Amino acid sequence: MFKKILLLILTAFTPLSCFAIENTIADEQFVQTHLSSVGASILNANKIEERIIFVYDKTDVKEKLKLDKTLIDRQVIVYGYDYKFIEDDNELAAFISRKIAEAFRSYSDFFDGRLSSLQIKAAPKKYQLVFDKIAVDYMVRAGYNPIAMITLINKSCPQKRTDKLSSSNLTSKRLAVIYEYIYTKYPYYLLHNEYFKNKHYQNFLLTSQDNRKMLEEKVRSRSTRELNYE
Amino acid sequence: MSKFTKFFFVIVCVFCLNSKAGFCEEITIDTFVENIVKKENIEKPYKNLNYNYQSTKKIPVKIFIKEKIKSELDLYEGKTVDFIVSGDVYYNKRLIIPSGKIIKAKVGTIIKNGMNGIPASIIFDSFEIEGIKQSQISDSVEVFGQDRSLIVFPLKWALTFLPPTGSLTNFIKGGHAKLKPGKILKIYYYPEWT
Repeated sequence: MFKKILLLILTAFTPLSCFAIENTIADEQFVQTHLSSVGASILNANKIEERIIFVYDKTDVKEKLKLDKTLIDRQVIVYGYDYKFIEDDNELAAFISRKIAEAFRSYSDFFDGRLSSLQIKAAPKKYQLVFDKIAVDYMVRAGYNPIAMITLINKSCPQKRTDKLSSSNLTSKRLAVIYEYIYTKYPYYLLHNEYFKNKHYQNFLLTSQDNRKMLEEKVRSRSTRELNYE
Repeated sequence: MSKFTKFFFVIVCVFCLNSKAGFCEEITIDTFVENIVKKENIEKPYKNLNYNYQSTKKIPVKIFIKEKIKSELDLYEGKTVDFIVSGDVYYNKRLIIPSGKIIKAKVGTIIKNGMNGIPASIIFDSFEIEGIKQSQISDSVEVFGQDRSLIVFPLKWALTFLPPTGSLTNFIKGGHAKLKPGKILKIYYYPEWT
């Protein structure tokens, strides 16, 4: 009698768990296909003649200390933590483009790119802004809207008190630098701004008033000096 | 007023009160765009979407800068610079780019020199050659300053045993990116790419 009940329970629950696993695999497969497709479009549109692959890892990178494989294996990994902030293709392209810029730089220079990888690790703050800018170029050439870089960073990167002793820049500074870069090279996207009514873009406008005022004064005075954004 | 009209009026009022459709939300106007961007002549940016990389043919185009660049600090991002073609460029025995032709390019990204001997660099992009599509030319060329990290990193590691002397090497800065008219740069022309 007990065996029969056990068998009944097993037959009742086993298929459900199988379906759940199948669904999870299908979901991951869908995200992976999409990721690879966007990644390949960016590589092709920018004539990047080096191999870089894209991997979706649903685990939360914040929980597990994992080695960044971008510079060593030229493998762009999108973790579940980062992916949950991505709302559309432009934002996915923004995230991937930054990583492509990093991975591509690790191919050039001495010792098969080891020296440039070391330089990136030694000056992360400087290269953070450089990769943001290169990513904007990559996005535009691949037909994505670079304003998505602003919306993605605005909602996903925290604002520290100061960046004096930090290995990364203040997020507000990064956003202002990206905004200025888009204005300098691709003002078309500011004029025909698809993201204008986006809540995250509006939040950026709200929080970046001083920085944008500084930029306005710089443009009016025809100055070419670098601004000290806060 | 008929019953139907009353009912319709009530439904519309309820919808308007409950709606989150946005007409109650405030939109912040981008004053920078209003005051500056809207007054400028703006072109649609170049996109490379219809590519076909079947062909492996690529022809080097040797170029040099028209005016000397003393340092990356003299430039700004978005500045237009002139390059001059050094040597005729032929494809299928046909002259494509004559020697001395001026090619316009833009300063794409400037990377300043940094500690640990990291050099400055200038990325030139958006090359424009008359009669050739942008998709048929290299996207960018990077010019580096003197890379002192080649000396700094080994020195730092060698001095690790004598703290804090190793850390003092942090203060060695990399070279500025300079470009003289005599320096030949190479971009590529891909004649069969679309």
